[in-house]
Amino acid sequence: MIRRIPWWAGGLLMALLLMFTFSIFGADRPIGASTYVPYFAGLLFNLDPEQYGYLKQIDGAGAWEGVMLLGALFGGFVTSVFITKSFRFSVIPTAWKKYKNGSVVSRLAWSFASGFFMIIGARLAGGCTSGHFLSGMSQTAISAMIFGGVVMATLLITGRLFYKKEAQDV
Amino acid sequence: MFERIMGMFETVANEGHGSVALVFVIGILFGGIIQYSRVDKFEKIAGFAMLRDTVVPKMLFLAVGVAGIGLYFMIEAGWAHYHIKPILLGGLVIGGVLFGVSMAIFGKCPGTGPVSIAEGRIDVLVGAIGGLLGGLVFTLFYEPVFKPIMGPDLGKSVLTGGAGDYGSVTILVFGIALVAVSMLIPLRQEFDEADLNRLG
Repeated sequence: MIRRIPWWAGGLLMALLLMFTFSIFGADRPIGASTYVPYFAGLLFNLDPEQYGYLKQIDGAGAWEGVMLLGALFGGFVTSVFITKSFRFSVIPTAWKKYKNGSVVSRLAWSFASGFFMIIGARLAGGCTSGHFLSGMSQTAISAMIFGGVVMATLLITGRLFYKKEAQDV
Repeated sequence: MFERIMGMFETVANEGHGSVALVFVIGILFGGIIQYSRVDKFEKIAGFAMLRDTVVPKMLFLAVGVAGIGLYFMIEAGWAHYHIKPILLGGLVIGGVLFGVSMAIFGKCPGTGPVSIAEGRIDVLVGAIGGLLGGLVFTLFYEPVFKPIMGPDLGKSVLTGGAGDYGSVTILVFGIALVAVSMLIPLRQEFDEADLNRLG
């Protein structure tokens, strides 16, 4: 079995999934993936939706994305075990070792901090790579284009400043 | 907590945006496509930030170009509806900066992260715990801190909205341009060593 599909096949499949999800035969809504995080935080820390206006506001979207996320976990697990055969426990990505460092503490601390700020950023912007880039841009939403431009620029600047230019031996 | 998790399924069942099973299947396909095309890898997302890998932008631009054209005609035919997010300038710019910096360092985004966790990546799990706390902080301080930063609602504009009768032409030009960009970006790939060994 082919263990990896090329970028164009992935792009076409993603476009089809996006169109199906939008359609009235599908879910009649866009794909999103960051609203489930505060939604799950609300479940986990048992916050009262009556007390926190934000939880009330995201009740529908958070639940939908929560179920989709469970599907994504399942789909990712099955695909990585049976198709790509890439399932393995690991802590430091190869490219992090090459271009940053080999310290477990460093990778985990940066992961934790970037995960924290990523969700604050996504919720401030009202969407993420899925909600703005995929779903928003496909509808030619101006909000998505502003977000897309800012993210692309800061992503490339950070990539240039944060990592080493030359690869270290791994 | 169990009750609230059941409440989540109930909300989806009553919402009219597809049955619980359908939403779950959409998730499976979403995770499967991401995993199969390998864009959940740190090497692909942080690699793009370093300009050492271009699979993510190529796939993203192609998907948006094709889905953009498809959606427009689906909406015209009454088979789909617009779901536009409003322009909240402060939120989009400040949120975008935080998101872009984090994405480059984390090498994941909220959609690809879970797929990576499902593949056994411990660092991503730690990042997700950070994300949950971020979600908690956002929820707790939404009214006093974050809502004012986001700024006033400047409306739900779309590119094709201002084009009037030329909507279909605009979307065709937009879609074809994005597809062309996706093909013109030179293909560069950075691989995970262990992954490469297994892929043979």
